Amino acid sequence: MGLAGLVAKRLVQALLVVVGVTLVTFATLHLGGDPTYLYVGEHASAAQITATRVKLGFDLPLTTQYLRFARGLLHADLGDSLTFHQPALGVVLERFPATLELTCTALSLAVVLGVPLGVFAALHRGRPLDGGIMLLALLGQSIPSFWLGILLLLFVGLAWHWLPISGRVPLLDPLFAGDWRTAWTNLPQALPFLVMPSVTIAVFSLARTARLVRSSLLEVLSQDYVRTARAKGLSERRVIVHHALRNAWLPVLTMLGLEFGFLLSGVVVVETVFSWPGVGRLVFNAINHRDIPLVEAAVIVFSLLFVSVNLLVDLLYIRLDPRIRLA
Amino acid sequence: MKLLTDSQRRGIGALMRSNSRGRLRGALLLAMLGVVAWAATSVATVATASTAATTAAETPHRVLRIGMAVDADSLDPSELDAQDTQSIAHLLWGTLYKTSSDGRLDPYFALSAKLSDDGRAYIFKLRPDLKCENGAPLTARDVAYSFDHPNDPKLKFTGHASGFVLPALRYTGTRVDDPLTVTIQFAAYNPIALGLIAEMFIFCRAPYEAMTPEYAASHASATGPYRLVEWRHDDRIVLERNKSYGLAAPPYDGVVFRVLPEASTRTAELLAGNLDIMSGVVADQIEAINHSGTAKVESVASIRRIYVGFNQNPKFAATAGGKAIEDPRVRRALQFAIDVPTLCQALLRTPCARMATMIFPPNDKTGIHADPYDPDHTEQLLDQAGYKRGADGVRFALVLQTPRGRYPNDVNIALAIAQYLTDIGVKTTVDVLDFASVFVPLVRQHVAGPLFLMGSSGASWSAIYDLADFSAPDGGANYTDFADPEFFAGWRRIEQTHDPAEQGKALSAMMHVFHERGTWLNLYFLPDLYGVSNKLSWQPRADELIALGN
Repeated sequence: MGLAGLVAKRLVQALLVVVGVTLVTFATLHLGGDPTYLYVGEHASAAQITATRVKLGFDLPLTTQYLRFARGLLHADLGDSLTFHQPALGVVLERFPATLELTCTALSLAVVLGVPLGVFAALHRGRPLDGGIMLLALLGQSIPSFWLGILLLLFVGLAWHWLPISGRVPLLDPLFAGDWRTAWTNLPQALPFLVMPSVTIAVFSLARTARLVRSSLLEVLSQDYVRTARAKGLSERRVIVHHALRNAWLPVLTMLGLEFGFLLSGVVVVETVFSWPGVGRLVFNAINHRDIPLVEAAVIVFSLLFVSVNLLVDLLYIRLDPRIRLA
Repeated sequence: MKLLTDSQRRGIGALMRSNSRGRLRGALLLAMLGVVAWAATSVATVATASTAATTAAETPHRVLRIGMAVDADSLDPSELDAQDTQSIAHLLWGTLYKTSSDGRLDPYFALSAKLSDDGRAYIFKLRPDLKCENGAPLTARDVAYSFDHPNDPKLKFTGHASGFVLPALRYTGTRVDDPLTVTIQFAAYNPIALGLIAEMFIFCRAPYEAMTPEYAASHASATGPYRLVEWRHDDRIVLERNKSYGLAAPPYDGVVFRVLPEASTRTAELLAGNLDIMSGVVADQIEAINHSGTAKVESVASIRRIYVGFNQNPKFAATAGGKAIEDPRVRRALQFAIDVPTLCQALLRTPCARMATMIFPPNDKTGIHADPYDPDHTEQLLDQAGYKRGADGVRFALVLQTPRGRYPNDVNIALAIAQYLTDIGVKTTVDVLDFASVFVPLVRQHVAGPLFLMGSSGASWSAIYDLADFSAPDGGANYTDFADPEFFAGWRRIEQTHDPAEQGKALSAMMHVFHERGTWLNLYFLPDLYGVSNKLSWQPRADELIALGN
């Protein structure tokens, strides 16, 4: 199968995943019963409740509601948010840059710090440096993010006044709107706000990346071809960077694709602690308010992004490991 | 231009190759240093420009900064619902009458209000100096539009105006008598009509006719003391003084509402001096705020009644406990089983008095006193009612349903109540439910319980309003299915007279019936806790509005 065929196959699979996700989300949200009661006043009579149910379309059979939703999806119209009274997709996309900013920064931190730490640990296997790094990694994976976030907030923000406690200065929003100048102007103000939430969210991924890189590199370093490369007289740098790391990257790359999804879904707590106005918090509130159109819109955006990132990872895999294309 | 000669490059290349492992470490170290440098730069940026750089940039002198837990749901005056949004809305739009902090209804956009002879209309004379945000005069036509627009069924509004105020008023229409006179009409006399009308925001027709409902949800055209500058969803709402507002100048140049869902974050921002007022202080942070030296906690008994409902829905009669609480003697007996002040002190860390009746205490003229904590008396009354302890010490069993996280420390309050009841032989188990998906539907269908922990808002301006939950035996908010004919006959007495004194007597009689039947297990008026900067002198209001001035 050629590259184009492979991509087409993956796209079809991705589409099926998205459809499956919408179906499961729709069914799950409706399992909780009729949300009309959340949208009528405390003193509403039975007639008013019925009228509101009709207004919101919850009186229709579930299949009709789903088909209506699916038809809307084809036109990028997911209905209006019950809470915000605005198009649900617009509400999600409005907050999306904030979450993307946080996720990308956290993922970058995890890679930029986690990979070198893993390599260091592997190159110093069994020595105190290795033990130290692995101990830190274990800690990083063990600390709950909400606890770490509050600690950072209390010490770094409140006690030492090193960083702002909460909030956000938009960075990607003006960039997406094509306003480079505002994005550039906002940059110095935006960075301090990014540090604590992104570090909080990155710690777990960073630790996991470091551990995976270490074990993956150690496995590769014991392979015959690495011994051969060294026997050929190649420099250690060349052996590690060009031969060992390139192969050690494969599982790391897979994990990073999944990690992106993990970070996206894991931002809820961090967004709440640091008052970061992103999609995670929006979805959390929407679930609490049974704002079905809004939850569906967010799930679709998340699943599309997740599927796209993993498609990209698959393509990178092909680039890095030609055997996959052959298979 | 070459920066290095060939021999230099060869030399460096050889050096690198000879120390390739060290170079790799150097590269890795460099990457990590880059990240550290980013964090350090960020820290330095803030250290030099102060921690509240953005806040400072956006909040000029004399700007009040308020931290709240939830964002506004909408800024369309026809669609507003949540309490936090009401605080913002009262700064953006005026009302014909407004409620003072002590529960008085005072003229605001209206100069006067006159009830028609048949009691089915209010005639309002408007102030002549009212203006829309764009400077155009605000007239009776705008007032009429402010009532008709949310009432338009085509627009499918579900907020407080269309979902509660207008149906409760039994609104039938508005008549514009002249540019400064407007008549609000309703189907029947309603003793609390003026207070309900005071909950309707007045906005200008022209700007809202030009907006789609979707646009209006996040863009406001003000008539009140402030105008909307910016709404960054889930982050902040920035208001500045409305220059067209012709009435008394507001006390601040601007107001910033920051959305900080996590209580400890709100507290940290308050203690760091980045907030002037924060709502929703949680019990375990009271001491930290009071000992900070920068802020203090102000508390007020709010109009929100916290009670345990005895659900008399026939569904529960099949169980021994459900059958038992159908007996008013049992319900009365259980009133003495709970030590409410201790409950408040231990679990809310705030003193509170036990609720005597559902009427907000300053308006309560019934003479009914709160029941004391006397478990022996409860046991005696239950014995007399025929519910003696069995061999296992249990008289009967009940289930107490409670939402989680809806009211301060609700689950622990429910657990404590269950223990108090178990102590007097009523074995009570607590059923903790998700508020939105499970608890609300059960309560709204009147099938929560047989005991359920609940909060219900009253009003600071009317004792009659406080009984609105029991407007009819089949009323939407009559969650306990209370149906005593003597009580409900009281409503007819109230409607038959326009004399407030006579209405008060009827109301008092109703409350005595309600008290004797023990329909609610009365707990407390919820103490609302606010963190307030020491630089500010501000008192919270019982109606939960964050108001600037009276």
